[in-house]
Amino acid sequence: MTQTDDPRIGVFVCHCGHNIAGVVDVEAVAKMAESLPNVVFSCDEMFMCSDAGQQLIRDKIEEHNLNRVVVASCSPRMHEPTFRRVVEEAGVNRYLFDQVNLREHVSWCHTRQPEAATEKAKDLVKMSVARARVLEDLPIKTVKVLATTLVVGGGIAGLRAALDIGDRGFDVLLVEKESELGGHVAKWTHLFPADESGAEVIKPLIKDVKAHKRITTLTNSKVIEFDGYIGNFEVTVENLKTEKKQKFDIGTVIVATGFIPFRPYGYFAYGESPDIVTLAELQELAPSDQLLKPSDGTPVKKIAFIGCVGSREPGVKGHEHCSRHCCAATAKAAADLREKIEEVLILYQDIRTYGKGHEEFYRLARRRHVIFSKFPRDAKPVVTVKNSEVHMSWRDVLADRELTFQPDLLVLATAMIPPEDIAETAKMFSLTRSGDGFFNPEHIKLAPLTTHTAGVMIAGASQAAKNASESVIDASGAAAKAVGLMAKGEVEIESTVSHVLSELCSSCHTCITVCPYGAINMDETVDPPVAFVTEAKCRGCGTCASACPSSAIIMYHSTDNQIMTMVEAYLCSPAQLEGGEPQ
Amino acid sequence: MAKSIGNALIVGGGVAGMQAALDIAAQGFGVCIVERSPSIGGRMAMIDKTFPTLDCSACILTPKLSEVLRHPNITILTNSEVGSVSGKAGDYKVRILKKARYVDEEKCSGCGDCATECPVEVPSEFDQGLGFRKAIYVPFPQATPNVYTVDMDNCIMCNRCVKVCEREAIDLEMVDEIVEFDAGAIIVATGAQLFDVSAYPRLGYSLYDNVINAMEFERLVNAAGPTGGHLIRLSDGKVPMSIGFIQCVGARDVQKGVPYCSRICCMYSIKNAVMAMEHNPDAKVWVYYADIRAFGKGFEEFYEMAKARFGVRFLRGRVAEVMQGTHSGNLVVKVEDTETSEIRLIEHEMVIVSPGMIPPEGMSKLARKLGLPMTDDGYIKIEHSFFGPVATKDPGVFVCGMADGPKDIPDSVSAGSAAAMKATIILAKGEE
Amino acid sequence: MTTVEKKEVQAKKEWEPQIVAFCCNWCSYAGADLAGTSRIQYPPNARIIRVNCTGRISPEFILASLEMGADGVLVSGCHPGDCHYSSGNLKLRARLTIMKMAIEQAGINPDRIRLQWASASEAQIFADGVTTIVEQVRALGPLRREWK
Ligand SMILES: Cc1cc2nc3c(=O)[nH]c(=O)nc-3n(C[C@H](O)[C@H](O)[C@H](O)COP(=O)(O)OP(=O)(O)OC[C@H]3O[C@@H](n4cnc5c(N)ncnc54)[C@H](O)[C@@H]3O)c2cc1C
Ligand SMILES: Cc1cc2nc3c(=O)[nH]c(=O)nc-3n(C[C@H](O)[C@H](O)[C@H](O)COP(=O)(O)OP(=O)(O)OC[C@H]3O[C@@H](n4cnc5c(N)ncnc54)[C@H](O)[C@@H]3O)c2cc1C
Ligand code: SF4
Ligand code: SF4
Ligand code: SF4
Ligand code: SF4
Ligand code: SF4
Ligand code: FES
Repeated sequence: MTQTDDPRIGVFVCHCGHNIAGVVDVEAVAKMAESLPNVVFSCDEMFMCSDAGQQLIRDKIEEHNLNRVVVASCSPRMHEPTFRRVVEEAGVNRYLFDQVNLREHVSWCHTRQPEAATEKAKDLVKMSVARARVLEDLPIKTVKVLATTLVVGGGIAGLRAALDIGDRGFDVLLVEKESELGGHVAKWTHLFPADESGAEVIKPLIKDVKAHKRITTLTNSKVIEFDGYIGNFEVTVENLKTEKKQKFDIGTVIVATGFIPFRPYGYFAYGESPDIVTLAELQELAPSDQLLKPSDGTPVKKIAFIGCVGSREPGVKGHEHCSRHCCAATAKAAADLREKIEEVLILYQDIRTYGKGHEEFYRLARRRHVIFSKFPRDAKPVVTVKNSEVHMSWRDVLADRELTFQPDLLVLATAMIPPEDIAETAKMFSLTRSGDGFFNPEHIKLAPLTTHTAGVMIAGASQAAKNASESVIDASGAAAKAVGLMAKGEVEIESTVSHVLSELCSSCHTCITVCPYGAINMDETVDPPVAFVTEAKCRGCGTCASACPSSAIIMYHSTDNQIMTMVEAYLCSPAQLEGGEPQ
Repeated sequence: MAKSIGNALIVGGGVAGMQAALDIAAQGFGVCIVERSPSIGGRMAMIDKTFPTLDCSACILTPKLSEVLRHPNITILTNSEVGSVSGKAGDYKVRILKKARYVDEEKCSGCGDCATECPVEVPSEFDQGLGFRKAIYVPFPQATPNVYTVDMDNCIMCNRCVKVCEREAIDLEMVDEIVEFDAGAIIVATGAQLFDVSAYPRLGYSLYDNVINAMEFERLVNAAGPTGGHLIRLSDGKVPMSIGFIQCVGARDVQKGVPYCSRICCMYSIKNAVMAMEHNPDAKVWVYYADIRAFGKGFEEFYEMAKARFGVRFLRGRVAEVMQGTHSGNLVVKVEDTETSEIRLIEHEMVIVSPGMIPPEGMSKLARKLGLPMTDDGYIKIEHSFFGPVATKDPGVFVCGMADGPKDIPDSVSAGSAAAMKATIILAKGEE
Repeated sequence: MTTVEKKEVQAKKEWEPQIVAFCCNWCSYAGADLAGTSRIQYPPNARIIRVNCTGRISPEFILASLEMGADGVLVSGCHPGDCHYSSGNLKLRARLTIMKMAIEQAGINPDRIRLQWASASEAQIFADGVTTIVEQVRALGPLRREWK
């Protein structure tokens, strides 16, 4: 894996339209790069990622016989795969490419300091060029993908994903922690925008799943261990009742662990009266022709709803997001109930009935004389319980008046929040979470269903608050991602793993204790024993390399030298390093 | 092309259709994208930044464009439309009308010499008529395929391009072609178009130069756009110091036949308001709205950021009228602030109306050809919200993206993948 | 004039802290990306080096950076419990605690090293972290003075 040729580096500085060039003097950056050691070509270009930009790279590789490429453009988290592919098409190993982030890390965050931004850009390019000089090519490895998908969570999303994958001809292992499949939808009495009960929607899905010869369902079960890598995961599932453990080998994963409805203690006197319930609890009240007060069983004549409870609270961690389903669910519930109840009132901040058929419910509710009243953002309604009666007071911003109301039943439309064990699930599958507490997708716009753990997809409410129809779409989409991997049967994996230089290993066992994946073992057949890395298990964190007291571990693509040479390039001018002065 | 049973046809090459194509192709099936404009990319290619994280749209779209172009299983037919469809799920015969582009796609290298030579300048559709293009053109720099097209309606047959093209790619005599294609499944991904806001004369669009629509704004702030990314007024080139955005125009309006919410305009206006502040931090930017519908992942947080960090002002109220202002080119927005019940007159140097979305031109014709029912609003009707949110009445035809109703990018992309999943279940059955 | 001299002249005129920032790919590098896409503005003094995990960072990297003339070092990774590789950040934290004591003995103010946790969604926390280390180091002055 040593590169014998002298480094011949090409530097391509991207304008990104105005995004970079509007702040950074890209021409000056490209000019500076020309003078760096081993740089044989340097230029600036409008859009490096465009077809024209990509062609330029390929052409210049050929023309100048480049064997290293540096592109100074946007975040490598976005385009590194693009450019790696481009250089590879021109015969340069993908690990001999390096990308500089001039946009997210420079022009967009130092917009009003163009000079300092240009200085920073120059430094970053110098650092990248220095790194490029010492990069080494690495082999491209592929692994097989086992033809089974693990679906975690048997709500509407998990059920749909399992069925689609099964119908497409691949095996599914569906793991649900509760005793019944169906998730939350099974509990809802009336679903918007259709007019079915949740049970009517869920039952046929469960029936199909149970009958499907390709789907194995484990209820009362949780994944307790997760190991391996894309295409070849090993999972251990435990039955929570019997504590029986089973191991499975699977190729891909869809996490569809959903949400839970927020129980709003501390908000609007929740918990102080049985007549104050959440929207979720309302749906679980004993079904009868008449809605009855939970406190005394008398018919409800006046009902009030409050929206955004535990949602849309700036600065309150995990509660800043809009919960997306509640406006439509409230409008639907109110319109339905108004047929039997004399007064129905909805207190809201904004009415977000955005989806197909949603505005119709909103209009229907208004037509049926449901009263809508907007309360101010910064002065929430006040609810008190006096003599077991619920009193509400608030300011209606549209009428600019203080109003009061005494409902028989107060319903709080509360936030969708992640299940209690989400941190555990996140850790298990190495997923990150966003501000709303749900899982982060690989890209919020263009890759909403994949994650940064290769081979692990997310779907439904586990990704963000959403309604059941949207969860179903996600589920089929995530299924497509899983099937895509399985249908091909193999996938490329990163070669960025660690390696023990056995002649330097002092048999101290340090690396074995620090590796989070048990990827390092001792080869006892030699004396003294030396450590060795099982590459398939190594995920490339590099913890072992920095822990090894004998510097016996190299981390491919992230060697000590590859890192420190960047620091040096930043802090020591080329004059100091090479004795030459840039123009 | 490969075995007939293993092919899918995708109508519309926007982000939803592209995602569907990639996910089907990833499983080894063949895909043909029929796109009626000269390039794939759809609406996303035109917009400048994208909510909710302000990435530039071209930057995130471009790699997708080249991925689609280069995928060995995907064929792109641009300038093309569906002619007729017969057959049933698993076995459709499709006739595609491939309109003459007068440039040989195999020969053209996209060098642009022809356009430099072409003497005819016409307003660019891509730039919403704010910029110009030649009669031989590509709609935008990253056009995919990167092949020029002659706009015959405006071509004066001077033959100058023909002479200058070193590759002899231009053939002004080219005729339309019919391409036959056998598909096992079909996906409709034709997107949506903007409501024509001149239907509201009181808002001044098409009466006053400085009242523009949101799409025009996106082009104005775009670096590759007609002003090179400088946000200036069309009447006098002045940098606007006060800007108003008007929401729900051609949306949630029963009288105008658009009773539904367009779902994206709140967010794209918040984004554009933020971009206006980005371009000019001293500007005063107002958004006039009925409800702010920031419902998606990260949307509410983005809305908060627009208020708290960028200082965009949000005023709840329907705008009654946009009138000429006191200074030349300025505008006065008459609005009832529903939170204070005051009628206010607010002067702006530029006003942007945010149109809702309506079904694309030709949607009913296409639906007829495919035998698909439509909703009252004119979109493709989905089978069922829970059992078939991307399915249609025909078990071999699926729908995704804005073709069944307005959607933002993430929702369009998820739907594209979902439609791909459904299509491949049918394709795989044929394979057995 | 050589570049070295030029730099020195500048240093006398208007010294600006030079900060080396090690960020893990999964949380803080992404958080820095989000700071950019959200157009959050922060001082341009830090140069980010991307590593897979903060667990990759050995004390030598930090010491060598200071030796080569960095005025401060920022290490930014995932919150404890959120490390993409489960616990690399905890190992780094343990190493850093020991290291800080060592450098204090060498006469270097430990405030020149900042360890922070910033997740992929915490753009503001990332940006504030950069601002904090820059201001801390600015108050301390150039490092060269402190080496014994
Ligand atoms: C009050 C209320 C009313 C609603 N009304 C409507 C409506 O009318 N129409 C509509 O479209 N949407 C409605 N919704 C939204 C709808 O409930 C959700 O969109 C939907 O439930 C999401 O489905 P899911 O499968 O992603 O998640 P869930 O329904 O939450 O299912 C997740 C499943 O995963 C399981 N699980 C969780 N963690 C684990 C784990 N670690 N291991 C194994 N299994 C696990 C859970 O037990 C559960 O079965 C409503 C929501 C609320 C709160
Ligand atoms: C002003 C504006 C700003 C926006 N900003 C954002 C944003 O910041 N973030 C975000 O998430 N979303 C944004 N959106 C929404 C985004 O544009 C859509 O979500 C996305 O474009 C939907 O993709 P699509 O593929 O469904 O449709 P489109 O992008 O419309 O693509 C449809 C394609 O089908 C073609 N077509 C149509 N009819 C036919 C036919 N009969 N035969 C063949 N081809 C046909 C069209 O030419 C087009 O190429 C914005 C929209 C607008 C209008
Ligand atoms: S959907 Fe409506 S009620 Fe729910 S959080 Fe959003 S705005 Fe509030
Ligand atoms: S880099 Fe080292 S510590 Fe990390 S997974 Fe690989 S072997 Fe284990
Ligand atoms: S390479 Fe990156 S910076 Fe350059 S145009 Fe593309 S997205 Fe923008
Ligand atoms: S038609 Fe000819 S001149 Fe025009 S871009 Fe194509 S190759 Fe160049
Ligand atoms: S998204 Fe906003 S502006 Fe658009 S129609 Fe809906 S409420 Fe009106
Ligand atoms: S991956 Fe971020 S600290 Fe380990």
